[in-house]
Amino acid sequence: MKRFLRNRIAAWAKRRQGPDVPPVELASRRVYILPTPVGIGFAVMLLVMLIAGINYGNSVALFLTFLLTGFGLVTMHQCHRNLVRTSLTSAAALPTFAGTRGTLRVTLQNDASFRRYQIEVEPTDEAPGRADVPPHQQAQLSIAMDAPKRGIVSIDRLRISSTFPFGLFRAWSWIHMRIEMIVYPRAYGAQPMPVDSGTKTGTRSRGLAGSDEWLLLRPFRDGDSPRQVAWKAYARGAPLLVKEYSAMGAELRMFDFAKLEHLDLEARLEQLARWVVDAEARGERYGLAIPPHHFEPDSGPEHRHRCLAALAAYGVQRSANDG
Amino acid sequence: MADLRPPRRIRAPLAWTASALVGAMLLHIDRVPWWITAAALVCVGWRLAAEVRAIRLPGRFAKIGVAMMLIAAVLAQFHTLNGLSAGTALLVVMGAIKLLETFSRRDRYVVIGATAFLLLAACLDRQGLTRAPLYLLEAWICCTALAVVAQQGDSLTAHAAGALAARSLGLAAPLAVVMFLFFPRMVGAFWTLPQADSAVTGLSDSMSPGGISQLSESDEPAFRVRFEGPTPPPEERYWRGPVLHEFDGFTWKRGTGYYRQPVLQHEGIAYRYRVTMEPTAQRWWFALDTVAEYPLRRAVLMFDHQLIAHEPVTRPITFEAVSYTHNSTAGPPSTLARGYDTKLPPDRNPRTVRLAREMRAAVGSDADFVQAVLAVFRRGGFEYTLTPPKLDRDSVDDFMFNTRQGFCGHFASAFVTMMRAAGVPARVVTGYQGGEWNPVREYFLVRQSDAHAWAEVWLDGRGWTRIDPTAVVAPDRLRRGVYDLIPGAMTAAQRLMRDSPWVAEARLRWDALNDWWNERVVRFDLNAQMDLLAWLGFDSRDWQPLGWLFAGGLVAWLLFVAWHVGRALRATPMDRLARAYTRLCAKLAKAGVPREAHEGPLAYADNVAARRPDLAAAVRPLLSRYADLRYGRDAGARSPADIAQFERAVARLRVPRESEPRLRAQRAT
Repeated sequence: MKRFLRNRIAAWAKRRQGPDVPPVELASRRVYILPTPVGIGFAVMLLVMLIAGINYGNSVALFLTFLLTGFGLVTMHQCHRNLVRTSLTSAAALPTFAGTRGTLRVTLQNDASFRRYQIEVEPTDEAPGRADVPPHQQAQLSIAMDAPKRGIVSIDRLRISSTFPFGLFRAWSWIHMRIEMIVYPRAYGAQPMPVDSGTKTGTRSRGLAGSDEWLLLRPFRDGDSPRQVAWKAYARGAPLLVKEYSAMGAELRMFDFAKLEHLDLEARLEQLARWVVDAEARGERYGLAIPPHHFEPDSGPEHRHRCLAALAAYGVQRSANDG
Repeated sequence: MADLRPPRRIRAPLAWTASALVGAMLLHIDRVPWWITAAALVCVGWRLAAEVRAIRLPGRFAKIGVAMMLIAAVLAQFHTLNGLSAGTALLVVMGAIKLLETFSRRDRYVVIGATAFLLLAACLDRQGLTRAPLYLLEAWICCTALAVVAQQGDSLTAHAAGALAARSLGLAAPLAVVMFLFFPRMVGAFWTLPQADSAVTGLSDSMSPGGISQLSESDEPAFRVRFEGPTPPPEERYWRGPVLHEFDGFTWKRGTGYYRQPVLQHEGIAYRYRVTMEPTAQRWWFALDTVAEYPLRRAVLMFDHQLIAHEPVTRPITFEAVSYTHNSTAGPPSTLARGYDTKLPPDRNPRTVRLAREMRAAVGSDADFVQAVLAVFRRGGFEYTLTPPKLDRDSVDDFMFNTRQGFCGHFASAFVTMMRAAGVPARVVTGYQGGEWNPVREYFLVRQSDAHAWAEVWLDGRGWTRIDPTAVVAPDRLRRGVYDLIPGAMTAAQRLMRDSPWVAEARLRWDALNDWWNERVVRFDLNAQMDLLAWLGFDSRDWQPLGWLFAGGLVAWLLFVAWHVGRALRATPMDRLARAYTRLCAKLAKAGVPREAHEGPLAYADNVAARRPDLAAAVRPLLSRYADLRYGRDAGARSPADIAQFERAVARLRVPRESEPRLRAQRAT
């Protein structure tokens, strides 16, 4: 019920203010505010105090009631101010593997000269992330996202809210933007990696076979195999360097979706993911054929992501991006 | 085994919640039984200790057991759980036990709620000037606790939370004043109250002089009196309270008898005055002896000329009355009165009774007998003291023949006993005597220490006549305070303080301030609101102007708070440039080319050029200038002059609507 209401109100707000593209400044007209349950309790308490004060003709109790009434209204303004004109400069989800927790990265910016306390960012159906934004600065929030199965998790909107300072009111605003989190298939499977697709391009034999010859050294990147690291150079005090061979494609692998027909679909995808991850970790060149994509053998983090993303998206109906 | 782990810190939410609760309990410390406060403090201490040292908290059943026990004890003490005193004690107990199991945020809110109700109970109980700052302090602690409890994490320090709460309350104060002045007051609007539940103070309706060895000499004000016109001389300032008729040899009581009220002949000056009483939770009013006119709808004049109110005085009240200090009654007393007011317990105080009968036989009239008895008091070696020895069961005999030391109650009791023993109708009157003139706000202040007891005897031809035997023993008692009479009653330092004119002045001013508080704040009611309206120049005596003033004040205050709180937002120094850019975009949007959300300034310029080629020449330089100023290599070094120039350029830009060129073209042809 609560969720239904919230969705309806969010939909109304979306019609009212339209889709958003970062950076979004939370203008006053799109910041809503309502009392929290604690605020309602506070109001009930004020009512009791008022009735008692009036009935007993007790001036001191009445003054206290009025003072706290004013206090409540002041906190409403303070709560609103704490949120209004905060900017959301970016929001993106990092890809993750199924079965792990993904991360939504949100950057908030505060152009005002005061600190914004306890800003909460809440994706639909997820626990909120929380951060303070210091004056004239940005703050990055990482919000854990559930990624139970491979595919595309899409978030239609973010709720940015705050109950600061006294927890009596919650000011909030919706940001309607489609954020997609790519959930790679779990890297899992015991099939042996196909050795060679047979299309060798350039071989090590063209150089001095069996020797330790390498063409160049480049800085270490995430995903590089430890076997390629120039450990000797590192021991001499050089930074972590990686030896690039002239023809790393000595063992050139092509992973083909079509060749795993004996497994069911998800198992196939998981096996392919396993191979991609392993091959990348070993620094090998690998390609992937999964309809409709055909990635030529390559290596590196971007290639890895391309392949894994293709696996994640296989067969997923991507709804037209209307947000 | 000793706990060797290092002590943990008490975290702010618990610390502030506990502080709020303890503060509220302290507000009631002199009103709830001491063992309740003690039990509650033990609970609080236990909870805090458990936080620091990982001491075990009581288990679920132990807690329930303790709670039941304490509730039963409250019930045993008050015989009810209803009413202010019992309710307060119960709240103290429950709040403290709740603190024992306070771990979640929700629990803390419950404790803060209980605290708020304790604060409300304190307000209902006492409204004195000295209490008000305590209530404000407690309200501030509650608000700070609210802020601290609401935080996730600890980015807001307790210090900052306290400052924030103080600032918010400060901002709320003007509204509180406006609402206080203009919110219509309707006393007793919702339910009639079970009264007489507050603590009873002041004179009671019985007197046992022999049982008291130390008269409580409190400087607390009892009531204040403003005279219209003449004021009575000091020796006539007797403020009549409960009249005591029944005596059991030791204790005087008001009794249950009555007789016809004799018709008084008033003589001399009619004194008109207004009395403002401090709360006593009792039903008697104190008025100048003897009352002739009083508010008939709020009080009744008893057969013995005592004023009894319909409602107990549970908050400061005021009434107007007229009194004559000289009165007489012709004719004899009623037989009922003669019988009732000459009654003595038959087998008590035999020596006094015998002495009285002998003395009456020796003189010719009742009036002579009165003088003879007063002569005994004057010459018989009697001493006025505030710390008399206790008396035995035949208290008057013991006083007359053994101790001969006492205060007003002893003398009045002995005198009336002697009168009655000789068959002269006599009664004890309690009340106050004297009063200190306060020139600051022009009233007499009567303190609790002015409490007095005197006698009235029936003399044929004059009726009830006031005889003050204390005045015979200590004549100065009438003209000066009790303290001046007895050398040992004050230390030298106290005497010095009292005699210092500066201190006396300060005391007067302080009391005047209290009087102002009672008059203007505590007793501020619908009548006072109407007076305020009249003073503000509104003629009509209805609620309408009150409503308008109330609503107007509320709106003005809301605007002020919105302005004040939003100040920091508007003061944001960035971004004249952004505002100018927004203005530029708005102009172009009016011209039919709104900026799409995803378009940067340069893409926007292309879009404008494509859709409105006529504008391209004017707009493109502006947009690329903006891109330069905002994102260009020298963006960091842009000067205010650059921005001003850009602002002017935006202001100069004229963008005709799409249709206008066509119109112009048509006109040209």
